[in-house]
Amino acid sequence: MLTLKSVQAGYGPLPVLKGISLHVRAGEVVTLIGGNGAGKTTTLRAISGLLPPRKGVIEFAGHDLTHMPAERMVTLGLSLVPEGRRVFRTLSVTANLELGAFHRRDKGAVRQDLEDIRERFPILKERAHQAAGTLSGGEQQILAIGRALMARPRLLMLDEPSMGLAPQMVTRVYAILAELKAAGTTILLVEQNARAALKVADRGYVLETGRIILDGSAADLRDDPEVQRAYLGKGYQEVWE
Amino acid sequence: MTAYVLHLAILAGIYIILTVSINLIIGYAGQVSLGHAAFYGIGAYASALVSLHWHFPFPAAALTAMLVAGLCGLALGLPTLRLKEDYLAIVTLGFGVIVDLVFLNLEFTGGPDGLPGIPPPSFWGIDFRPPWLYLILVVVTVILVLIFTYRLVDSYHGRALRAIRDHEITAQVMGINTPAYKVVVFTLAAALAGLAGSLYAHYITFINPETFGLHTSILILAMVVLGGMGSIAGSVLGAVILTILPEMLRQAHAYQELIYGGLLMLLLIWRPEGLLGRGKLSLKFLKRES
Amino acid sequence: MFFQQLINGLTTGSVYALIALGYTMIYGILGLINFAQGEIYMCGAFVAVLLLATGKVNFFLAFALGMAAAALLGVILERVAFRPLRGFHPLVPLISAIGASIFLQSLALLLFGPNDRPFPIQFTFSTINIAGLPVSTLQIAILGAALGFMGLLIVFVRYTTYGKAIMACALDRDTARLMGINVDRMVSLTFLVGSALSGAAGIMMAIYYNATYPRMGLLPGLKAFSAAILGGVGNIPGAILGGLLLGVAESLGAAYISSGFKDAIAFAILILVLLLRPQGILRGRGD
Repeated sequence: MLTLKSVQAGYGPLPVLKGISLHVRAGEVVTLIGGNGAGKTTTLRAISGLLPPRKGVIEFAGHDLTHMPAERMVTLGLSLVPEGRRVFRTLSVTANLELGAFHRRDKGAVRQDLEDIRERFPILKERAHQAAGTLSGGEQQILAIGRALMARPRLLMLDEPSMGLAPQMVTRVYAILAELKAAGTTILLVEQNARAALKVADRGYVLETGRIILDGSAADLRDDPEVQRAYLGKGYQEVWE
Repeated sequence: MTAYVLHLAILAGIYIILTVSINLIIGYAGQVSLGHAAFYGIGAYASALVSLHWHFPFPAAALTAMLVAGLCGLALGLPTLRLKEDYLAIVTLGFGVIVDLVFLNLEFTGGPDGLPGIPPPSFWGIDFRPPWLYLILVVVTVILVLIFTYRLVDSYHGRALRAIRDHEITAQVMGINTPAYKVVVFTLAAALAGLAGSLYAHYITFINPETFGLHTSILILAMVVLGGMGSIAGSVLGAVILTILPEMLRQAHAYQELIYGGLLMLLLIWRPEGLLGRGKLSLKFLKRES
Repeated sequence: MFFQQLINGLTTGSVYALIALGYTMIYGILGLINFAQGEIYMCGAFVAVLLLATGKVNFFLAFALGMAAAALLGVILERVAFRPLRGFHPLVPLISAIGASIFLQSLALLLFGPNDRPFPIQFTFSTINIAGLPVSTLQIAILGAALGFMGLLIVFVRYTTYGKAIMACALDRDTARLMGINVDRMVSLTFLVGSALSGAAGIMMAIYYNATYPRMGLLPGLKAFSAAILGGVGNIPGAILGGLLLGVAESLGAAYISSGFKDAIAFAILILVLLLRPQGILRGRGD
């Protein structure tokens, strides 16, 4: 469904991605894990068109995304839940959700989807008229996911959905991702929290300083000693004790 | 013809002092002043008044102009320089309009008629009445101002100023007293504008509020932006071009302003970094994240 | 006397507020001061006056076409003077807008000459009594129309998809793009709406003062900009409040302090307010 072939991208003279190749098949949950500055967010910005790649090819469902502006992606069925949630703080919760369906012309279906999403995430109904900025971090994350779902995406991309959230909120957000997976949503999940991500994912890629150093099924990655040491914190104790 | 060229050269010299002074504020402290002509006017009126009423010789009158304009700059700068730059722009703009109206409405500034009969400079036994002598006086002043600004820019203090422009918070963390620096720069720039005002008043020998209004503030700003913000050479070039351009367009009569405005816009679209600006990258650097 | 000055102030203030809305919306989405806003105001007035002078167009059509012309000019201006300069220091588009302002003013001077033009049709306005106080129906009409336009704008921004999309662009441009919102188009739309309001303001002032001339936009433009800052930039109710306050303060100041300093009063208040409350009366965008 989504394919990246040796994609290079970066800001100013500094290359962040030094040739990334990966793919996501329909119905799959794929995770991209890596430490700070590995290029995870840059990869998502490149796919979503916010940072057009310098080299390489990005294809999605038969379309060449490489030079497509960000605002057209969503019409193809590609939605991104950005890092740090980025809800429209002074707009109401409902307005945020409605903007998620900005490009859609099927107004009746949009209204139905809005109802469905509010049913699914009751907090968004309770806080319907409140400014999004007044929500807690976890609530904002749910709103950002709901907003992305309003676009009826064929591929949902999430950038560090657990960042800065309290542990019980992380659990709640990941429960939502598991539900989405069960409903057959295709997901590309970028995470620093490898433990949570590998639990929900089918497959994974490990990104380090702009290169993919490892890929495989989520189970294989969980068992990989290198991944365990660097990203899951196992063996940590042995070194220190 | 020669007299006319001399006249333009003198005006260009006065504008160079103004652009260099405002460039200190914009280019080296990242602040915007939309009312710089007010300090120019304050200097001109102060210099004219002390010459007319108390018969100050020119050097003393020019120093008075710098002192009064500088004090006004200090008075305005102290409370306002902690504001965000957009707000500072509008505060200085408002200050400019107010000062203009004060000149227009006060008795001792002559109201709309202004002050005639300002004595031309005459000191050290030299009468500066002939335009070429006045030009020498202006050129020497411009050179002194340029030496002063270049030395300031290259000094420790200059580097501190650039640090404030590039990243105020980092500069503060590094131990630079940013508010104090901004106030000092603002005061210095106001004093230099006052000096330019004095040179203007004693050259034309007649001043009225019209010269020191908003359009002059805008003209000075346009000179700096056209030349390239943060570049002293650019300021000089911008001042020369925008002094000469309207004169060259004079043959176009009614179309003069039309072409002037259009050209200003086109020049900036063609070279947004200014004619001698340091390229796009450094200007992006100037832009603050907000 | 006091009441009369208050009404005068509210009338001009409501017009300042209309222009201030244009400034505040454009500032909100681009972070830029459109210095040529006063010329857009002038353009609206001239188009309406010239159309009415032909005697073939009725008042409401002329009013609408004046607004449309102002809106079109705003959109063109954004394309020419702002869009190529995005990403540069904010002073660069400011000066470019000043260039555009000089250009448009002198163009108007060439086309229409320096003299005041009276408004081509004479309305018969009377003075009526409200609670025992005399009020001119012209002032009521202007105040009512201005408040009506403000209401329309608030409905547009709060309740329409495009209005919300404009707010989204002002709040977070990248995320707005992720929603499929074309930022360039929203910027054009902002200029369109803001300029139409300024055009309407210009026509109302042309009726109120019975004068249309090339430099008519300069002072109202500056004062409206002050009003926008006073209300907290990017804040729509703030711009309305700021405009009304400036109008009233100016009118009362001119009556009780000095008419010579009438134009200074607005700026003196602005400076005072900024010193005491730098974020504006209401808060600016962002939080």
